[in-house]
Amino acid sequence: MERQEILEVVRTHLVEELDVEPDEVVETTNFREDLEADSLDLYTLLQELEDRFGMKLTDQQAAEIETVGQAIDAVEKYATGDSEQGP
Amino acid sequence: MTTVAVDAGGADAGPREVAAGAIDAARQGIKVKLFGSAEEIGPVGEGIEVIDAPVSIAKVADPVAAVREQPDASIVQAARSVASGEADALVSGGSTGAVLAAGVLHIRRQRGVHRPALAILVPIPGAPVLLLDVGASSESRPERLVQHAHIGAAFSEVVLGIERPRVALLSNGEEASRGTPEVIAAHQILSAGTGIDFVGNVEGLGIATGEADVVVTDGFTGNVALKLMEGVSSAVIGAVRAAAASDARAAAGALLMKPALSGLRDQLDPEQHGGAYLLGLRSVVIVPHGRFGRRGIAKAIELAASASDADVAGRTHSALEAAGALRSSE
Repeated sequence: MERQEILEVVRTHLVEELDVEPDEVVETTNFREDLEADSLDLYTLLQELEDRFGMKLTDQQAAEIETVGQAIDAVEKYATGDSEQGP
Repeated sequence: MTTVAVDAGGADAGPREVAAGAIDAARQGIKVKLFGSAEEIGPVGEGIEVIDAPVSIAKVADPVAAVREQPDASIVQAARSVASGEADALVSGGSTGAVLAAGVLHIRRQRGVHRPALAILVPIPGAPVLLLDVGASSESRPERLVQHAHIGAAFSEVVLGIERPRVALLSNGEEASRGTPEVIAAHQILSAGTGIDFVGNVEGLGIATGEADVVVTDGFTGNVALKLMEGVSSAVIGAVRAAAASDARAAAGALLMKPALSGLRDQLDPEQHGGAYLLGLRSVVIVPHGRFGRRGIAKAIELAASASDADVAGRTHSALEAAGALRSSE
């Protein structure tokens, strides 16, 4: 998957969940400082990416993600492409 | 046979009282995995497996960080047992923040659900009302209110046995134009026909007057409303008791009324309903009040088992999907 496509998935999620404007979500956006996201918001995003792109992050890997760009890096590095089905 | 993971850490009454509730539930044929200090839990009967987990998470400012940093904590291990399929449902009387964090991080939200909701049965005599969200999330968004309306309706139907429950939004007026922008927007969506019996807005008073079976609000308002109801209820009950003991005639009258009041007391007893329900996760999570004793804990475990057997999570998701109420990016 292209980096821009992953960014769109992240952007769509954040716009819906945090009620921010699409142009606020770019690769340099810091979740806590720029979007006022809390821990639960961030982990909810990472779980969305895990389900969508078929990856599983360790707690340590998740804790190191602070920006949109780093989240995209994680998808590019760990995704298997097997998305999860079901409720 | 349904297995319920029970977190024995964090409850005010202590692990031994939680274990006593687990023993009572196990006698009903429910398998229990009990997570807590084995030394404090003590001997248990058949049907209960004790997993020694002496670390518990207290009420903290950042429960998500606490859950991440303490993987051996009783609530974390209990939640992971549900996530792995070793258990079917979770019961925890510890810090609600820790239960929410452990639930979201390990059991996870259902696909397409924005945020889980904490729901509670307000013990209105003769007609208890499901109120949600009472504190899982403090923010208000129209799409969350709409989802919680569906989630509450599904739970009410599947677990409480109410056929086509009436669902209302909590507002400061009955008119569709009354309320915050989020409530007004949610009202418009629900009024357009979403497969549930949406009866419009109710004011705070309407929670207790039987106008709806499910009342939906944001977590901040719901938590304030819940604590207010608990506080007023406690004050009134205390005043009635004081009046009944004020002189000999009053005491005699109270004695005569006792048989009639005992049934009412059972209806008002929060332990009868098992506690609060964390809805919108992939498995059932019940949060008994930290002050519950063995009776309330046993009730919570029984409720968790029956809700899991009835596939509340799956049926709720199906209801959301049929109504087109899941997140658009799912």
